[in-house]
Amino acid sequence: MENIQATLNRGQAVQSAKPIKMKSQDVTVHYGSKQALNGITLDIPERQVTALIGPSGCGKSTYLRCLNRMNDTIDSASVGGKITLDGEDIYDPAIDVVELRARVGMVFQKPNPFPKSIYENVAYGPKIHGLSRNKQELDEIVHTSLKKAGLYNEVKDRLDEPGTGLSGGQQQRLCIARAIAVSPEVILMDEPCSALDPIATATVEELIDELRENFTIVIVTHSMQQAARVSQITAMFHLGDLAEVGPTEKMFSNPDDKRTQDYITGRFG
Amino acid sequence: MSTLTIIFLVLVIGLAGAFLAYRYSRSLAAKDGAQLHSRPIYHASYVACWAMIPALLALMVWLVVSPIVIASDVRGSFPEGILAETSLTEDLAYGIVESLGSGLRVLPADERETITDATPVAELRELLNQRGVPIASASADWMVPLAIQLNGMQIFSRWAMTAVVVLLALGGAFWGYRNIAPRLRARNGVERVVTGALIAASSIAIMTTVGIVFSMLFETIDFFSRISPMEFFFGTEWNPRFSGAGSEGSAGSFGFIPLLAGTLYIGFVAMLIAVPIGLFAAIYMAEYADSRTRSVVKPLLEVLAGIPTIVYGFFALVTVGPFLRDLSAQISGLVTGDYTSFIQAQSVLTAGLVMAIMLIPFVSSLSDDIITSVPRSLRDGSLGLGATRSETIKRVILPAALPGIVSALLLTASRAIGETMIVVLAAGVAANLTINPFDAMTTITVKIVAQLTGDLEFNSPQTLVAFALGMTLFVITLCLNIYALYIVRKYKEQYE
Repeated sequence: MENIQATLNRGQAVQSAKPIKMKSQDVTVHYGSKQALNGITLDIPERQVTALIGPSGCGKSTYLRCLNRMNDTIDSASVGGKITLDGEDIYDPAIDVVELRARVGMVFQKPNPFPKSIYENVAYGPKIHGLSRNKQELDEIVHTSLKKAGLYNEVKDRLDEPGTGLSGGQQQRLCIARAIAVSPEVILMDEPCSALDPIATATVEELIDELRENFTIVIVTHSMQQAARVSQITAMFHLGDLAEVGPTEKMFSNPDDKRTQDYITGRFG
Repeated sequence: MSTLTIIFLVLVIGLAGAFLAYRYSRSLAAKDGAQLHSRPIYHASYVACWAMIPALLALMVWLVVSPIVIASDVRGSFPEGILAETSLTEDLAYGIVESLGSGLRVLPADERETITDATPVAELRELLNQRGVPIASASADWMVPLAIQLNGMQIFSRWAMTAVVVLLALGGAFWGYRNIAPRLRARNGVERVVTGALIAASSIAIMTTVGIVFSMLFETIDFFSRISPMEFFFGTEWNPRFSGAGSEGSAGSFGFIPLLAGTLYIGFVAMLIAVPIGLFAAIYMAEYADSRTRSVVKPLLEVLAGIPTIVYGFFALVTVGPFLRDLSAQISGLVTGDYTSFIQAQSVLTAGLVMAIMLIPFVSSLSDDIITSVPRSLRDGSLGLGATRSETIKRVILPAALPGIVSALLLTASRAIGETMIVVLAAGVAANLTINPFDAMTTITVKIVAQLTGDLEFNSPQTLVAFALGMTLFVITLCLNIYALYIVRKYKEQYE
């Protein structure tokens, strides 16, 4: 506990009221007849890191996948309630889901670089969205994205080599660079460090902290230390309900909800 | 004792040994409460393996070797120079001796007693004919003693074999049983036997392939000693006149090019139609169809694969061919006013079209499996970046699935090249060399069938050419498959 407390004191100084980027109201998700989320109402502030924590199967990843409609790709899933991005309902039939996903990017649990070169991996998004007019501009986007993801110096001499040849941590940063390259407004991260070793995890966490300057970040994590280290807002999920949400500092020092208290002190999870 | 009885006996010994071993092993565990290395069932299998495997191996070897030994012995005692006097070959003579010998075993004991070395062959032949065993009229008196000798050797060999096999089974069972001890590693031993059995099963497939190649190889060499390879591989005329009796020397021409061209052309047309349709069907089933549609469409498509190719042939002959012919007549009538059809009823196009219908389920089913096996995470990654489904398929999934798809397509191509029945009925048997897809052409496989059907002798170039054709076809498909492997490997090194 002391350890977490120390981290909190360092990380939370910048906490201040920010405008709301995404709003969810009473979001429910059913997989077939099974209800996975029972009405989540949660605000996600702009240019902050919001961490979703909770025991396995509590619905935090399901909620995350609602935010860019990745649940659409699962046949049996049906989403209810309302989610807005800058005030626009993202489940409105008039919304183009492809455009939405360009605005709300996603980084997955397991690094999933495409079986292409490092360069092509990053250039993939800009190419399909037509973000560059010529090769120089595309090069520029790729280089900047790799720099922002803190990977450029490690790979600048081998951009033509397959992205699958990198180490796990590098692959995950490549996936982050790939997401950054389409200049999204929000980046969703689904346990981005769970497949990485501690050193790679530290690098990715530092990166997340830096990305906060330009992007709104929502991260699902199993590690409470990680939530404490990288996030400003923490939301605790439990069995498909939102147990509690609040500034990370408060959540870890003085939670209101009994379930949060039990979870962060390791009584279950 | 028949071979089946011997095998049955060995099985009984093995099972009995296993049963005893099981009981003994249980008692070992119970008696001193010792920790057994292997469970009793493994001890039982261990004893059964020892009882059955050496015995059955010995049986197999004996069955293969003894006829060879007996034959060489009997042939060695053919009277000197006798074959030169008659028109018999050595093989034929041995065949007669053999059937005399096996005839002897049919006779009842009292009649067999009357046959001696001095019995004239005519008398024996009469006797056997009454029992329903026909003997060639070329048989001669000198064969009778040999037949008796052969019969004796065979009977002896069978008795000896029975004795050896049963003794081996008993000995093996005893040896295995004696070895049973608490610390005996029976489990590991049984594991080794299982490994061996699996290796044997896979080598049978390889050995068969090698056997097939060799059986064709010698005939092919024989063919090329009569017709020069240059003429075969580069000749542009296929006309292997069937030489009637006495018309020696009119061998005809064996140009292979028209057949190869026909094979490749028809296969090409078929692939040209089947690949896009099959691939698109696969993409639809793997990426777009919901599970209910998929569960209906996929089996329906695969029904096509179950239709015998001769039925496709009918379809081509009765429906597609005439339809194309009439269609072409209408078209030319509309354009030029002259209602002559420019597509023949039997044509490359007809065969290619119908073969394509046959190939679609192969392409779609194989590609569907390959596309579905691309990890879901790659799809999510691409969709999560705001790519549409078709962009995801075109830029991520198909490139990732490419090596698999290429090898599936080459597999399909091998099938197209080997197809016979559709071509016979849809494209005809005329070996033309043309680039007009509306003309009749024919393929290698059709000509192999044509050369081997009918009443022919097996030592003329007209029939031997079938082996050369078969060998060439084998080499072509082999090259295709090797190329497929090469592609898959190259791609894998690059990306994984």
